[in-house]
Amino acid sequence: MNESKGQRIEDSYDVVVIGAGNGGLSATAFLAQRGVNVLCLEQHNLPGGVATSFVRGRFEFETSLHELASYGPQSNKGSIRTMFEDKLKLDTEFVQVPEAFRLILTAPGEELDVSMPFGVENFIDTIEKEVPGSKESVEKFFKVAKEIRDAFSYIRKMKGKPDQGVLFKEFSNFLKTAAYSVTEVENALGIPEKAQKILNGSWSYLGVPTDRVNFTIFASMVLVYAEKGGWVPTNRSHGYTTAFDAKIREFGGRIEYNTRVDKILVEGGKIVGVETTNGDKIKTNYIISNASPILTYNKLIYPQSEVPEIAYKDVNARILGLTGFVVYVGLDTTAEELGLHEYAYFIMDTMDTEEVYNSWSKLQAPGGLACVVLNNAIPDCSPPGTCMLDITTLYRPEAWKDVKPEEYVELKNNLAEEILIKFEKATGTSLRDHIEEIEIATPATFARYAKLYNGIFYGYEPESWDSIVPRLNMMGKDVYIEGLEFAGGFNRQAHGYSSSLSDGLISARLTLQKLLQEDGKA
Amino acid sequence: MSKENEEKLNVTVRSNTKDLFAFTKLVPNRIKRIERASSEPLREDPINDLAWKLHPEKQFLIINEIKEETKSTKTFKLVPDPDSITKELAYFRSGQYISLKIDLEGVRITRPYSIASSPKDALKGFYELTIRKEENGFLTHFIWDHWKVGTRVESSGPEGFFYYERLRDLTQIVGIAGGSGITPFRSMAKAIIDGTTDAKLTLLYGSSEEDDIIFYEEFKEMEKKHPAKIKIVHILSCDVVSLEGCEKGFITKEIIEKYCDVNSSTFFICGPQIMYNFVEEELKKFNLPVKRIRREAFGEVKDILTHPDFPKEVAEKIFKIKIHIGDLTEEIPAIATESVLVALERANLNPPSKCRSGECGFCRSLLIDGKVYINPVSDWRRSADKKFNYFHPCASYPITDLVINIPRDL
Repeated sequence: MNESKGQRIEDSYDVVVIGAGNGGLSATAFLAQRGVNVLCLEQHNLPGGVATSFVRGRFEFETSLHELASYGPQSNKGSIRTMFEDKLKLDTEFVQVPEAFRLILTAPGEELDVSMPFGVENFIDTIEKEVPGSKESVEKFFKVAKEIRDAFSYIRKMKGKPDQGVLFKEFSNFLKTAAYSVTEVENALGIPEKAQKILNGSWSYLGVPTDRVNFTIFASMVLVYAEKGGWVPTNRSHGYTTAFDAKIREFGGRIEYNTRVDKILVEGGKIVGVETTNGDKIKTNYIISNASPILTYNKLIYPQSEVPEIAYKDVNARILGLTGFVVYVGLDTTAEELGLHEYAYFIMDTMDTEEVYNSWSKLQAPGGLACVVLNNAIPDCSPPGTCMLDITTLYRPEAWKDVKPEEYVELKNNLAEEILIKFEKATGTSLRDHIEEIEIATPATFARYAKLYNGIFYGYEPESWDSIVPRLNMMGKDVYIEGLEFAGGFNRQAHGYSSSLSDGLISARLTLQKLLQEDGKA
Repeated sequence: MSKENEEKLNVTVRSNTKDLFAFTKLVPNRIKRIERASSEPLREDPINDLAWKLHPEKQFLIINEIKEETKSTKTFKLVPDPDSITKELAYFRSGQYISLKIDLEGVRITRPYSIASSPKDALKGFYELTIRKEENGFLTHFIWDHWKVGTRVESSGPEGFFYYERLRDLTQIVGIAGGSGITPFRSMAKAIIDGTTDAKLTLLYGSSEEDDIIFYEEFKEMEKKHPAKIKIVHILSCDVVSLEGCEKGFITKEIIEKYCDVNSSTFFICGPQIMYNFVEEELKKFNLPVKRIRREAFGEVKDILTHPDFPKEVAEKIFKIKIHIGDLTEEIPAIATESVLVALERANLNPPSKCRSGECGFCRSLLIDGKVYINPVSDWRRSADKKFNYFHPCASYPITDLVINIPRDL
C-alpha cells in the first residue's frame, strides 16, 4: 500500500471507470470529451487490458488482436473507424490485412486448403469454385446477413426500442433467424456441408460451436469482415490504446495506472464510491465497470449484502466463454523465405466445431489454431530479415485449474511445441531453427496481466438465448445496482475488440443521460 | 442480385409461425433462465490463483542464513517471513531475478538480484542471493552493515527473460560470466544437475583476482561429479595466477574457441558492463545469428558520461523535475548523470521499478514536458510509447527540466 506523502486520490468524480480495457477506454474518452469529470482506474501499468503489446529482443509482439472488425477503408468507414477518426480524432494508423483467411483442414478425409478473399462477391465466388452449386445458397446467407446488419442499425437508431411493425415488415428474416444457431439457419438455407465449412472458417473468433452459436451474431461478423476487410494498427494494439490515453488526458479526463479497485461502495442499492488497494477513497455515484460482472458482483461490491440475489443469478445463468493460449515467435528469417504468404491462417483438424471445442477442454494439443503473420499486413513491423508469427488457440479454463507452478513451464512448452509442429505440418514450413524469440501466454498470463476471471477473454457465450438480440432487449432491466453500468466483452454486445469498444460508448451514453437527468432535477 | 430476388427471400428454419414465435420467446426465456439460476456467489478462480503463485506481486522474506563466499561476497538464504502473507516462494526459471525493495533509512529503493539457487530449492522453501560488496556502492555497504539472520526483506516475484528456452536455444549453453554475474549460472548449473533443465553448461568465468572467484569449490565439485554436463573455465585478469588450469587475461575469441564448439552453442552473457563491451566484440568475430547470443540486462548504467552520445555539456547540471504522482505534485532536483528513477527515489516518492535496466517497463511514466537522454542499449520501449512520450525512468537521464506523470507503486 502506498501511503507516502499525499499520493492518495481523495477527490470525488462524476463517473469512475474501472479498467482501461477496450470498453473502459472508449467509455472514458466519450465522457471526458463531453466535459464529464471522469476517472479511469487501471490495475496494470498500461492501457488496453488484452489490447496491448510487449517487447522481446528485437520484436514488439501484438498480444491478442487478429483483425479489427467494423473499421473499414476511408471510402467505406465502419463504426470503429468513425469513432476513432471522426468522433475522437485519435492519433492512430491502421492498415488493411491482405485476405480474410486461409483455412486449412487436416483430418484425414476432410483435407481442405483454401484462401478466402475480402469482398462479399469474391467470398461467394471462391466458395462456388470450391463447392460448385453453392452460390445461390451462400448468396442467401449474405442477404440475410445484410438484413440482420440493417436490423441492428435500426434497433440502435431507435435506442433499443424498435417499432415492432417495422421489424416485422422490413426485417422479418432477422426476426426469424434470431432464435437459431448458425447450423440451423445454414441448413435451412440449403448451404452444402462443404460450403458451410468454408463459410464458417472464422468461427473460432466467437469460440462457440456452430450448432450453439447464435446465427445473427455470427452472420453479422462474417458480413462486416467481408464488406469492410480486417484492419490492424501499425503500432500494435498498444498504438491505439495509448492514443486513447493521450486523448483522454487532452479532453481533461484522468487515468490512474497501478491502481486497483478493491471495493465498490454501495449504500441502499446505490453506488457511493470506490476504494483502491492504494488507499484511495473516491466518491462517485456512477461506475462503469470494465471488469466482468463476475468479479464486480463477487469480489468488488461492498458490502456483499448489497449484491441483490438476481445479480448472482444473472452471472450464474450465463455460460462462461473461453480463455486462450498464444505462442508468439520472432523469427530470424522472412515470411517470404518461409513460404508464409497469408496474414491469417485457421488451422483446424476438422470443421466439426463441437469436436474442436471439446479438444479445448483438455490439456492436450488443441484441435484448432488461429495464426497471424503480422509482417504480411505490416511489412516493417519487425527488423529487415525477420518476421513475427502468433499462434492462438483457446481453452476452457477448467482444463488449467489443477496445474501446479512447478509443472507450468514444461506444460506450456510441450503444448507450444505441439502447436508449432501442427503449424509447420499444415503450412509445409520449418520454423524451429529460426526461432529467435519465443513467448507463450497461457490462461494464467491473461489472468496475471488483465486480472480476467479465470483468464476468460471471450465473455459469456452468445448462444441464441443469450445472444445480442435478447441482451439488447433487456437493456436497462439488468441494472441491479443504481449507478452501475458494465462495459466490455461480458456485456450486451458480446466479446471482441469492436464489440467492446462500441459497448463502452453505449454505457457511457447511458451514464451521461442519468447524469443529465440528475442535473435537471437539481 | 436483382431487387426482385431480394424481395422474395424468406428464410424459414422450422416454419414461419414457429420462427417468429421463437423470436418472441427469446427474452422471456432468458428471464426465466436467469430466475432459475443459482444465487450462490462464484468465488473460485483457480487460474488467478495459479497466476498469483507464479507471479506474486510481492514476496515477504526473511534472512535465514548468511554464508561468506569470498572476502567481498555473501550468500543470503531467504525464506518466507512466517509473520507475512507469503506462505510459499514463487517457482521460477533458472536465470531469473527478484527485485528487492529495500528501505534505506526511510528511502525505498529497488535492486534486482539473480536467484543463485535452483528452482527446486524454491519448492523446498528458499531462495539464495549472492551479493558482492561494491567499493563505491552505498547499498551493498548498507546490506553488509544491516542484514543479519532474521532481517526482513521485501521482494518482487521472479522476473526477467534470461533463461534457457528449449524451443529456442541449443542444448549446449555457453555461459560467459564476469564477477557476480556468475549467480544466474549457478542456478542454471544446479537446475541441470537436478534434472529441471535438460541442457549442458560450459561456463567461462572471468575474475580479476583468484580470491574474487565466487563458488570456486562448488563448481569444481559439480564439474567433477557431472563432467558430461558441467564444465567451468576460470579466466583471471590478474598478473600472477597460481590456480591450476586457469586461463590468464580476458574472455577472447581464442579462449572461447578453445573451450567451446561455437557453432553448436547458445551463448548467455551476464556480468559487469565493461565485460559486455569486450565480449560482444569478441563474439562478433564469429558472426553468429542474433538468436544465439542472449544477454542479461546489466542493471543501471554506471557511468552514463562514458556513452558517446550523452550530451556532455549538461553533465554537471542539476535540473528540476515537476512530478505528478497520484494526487501529489512535487518539484524535485535531479542530477543529469543519474537516472530519473534515482531522483524519484532520492525524493522518497516510492516509484515503481523492478529491473532498473529499461527492460521490464514497470516504471513506465509519461513525459509531459522536457527532454531525457535514453541510452540506446537500454531502450526497450514499445513503439507507441516512443510516439506518445512514455519513457522508462530507470533508463532515462534528465537533460532539461522535466514535467512527468508517474504511476504509484502497487
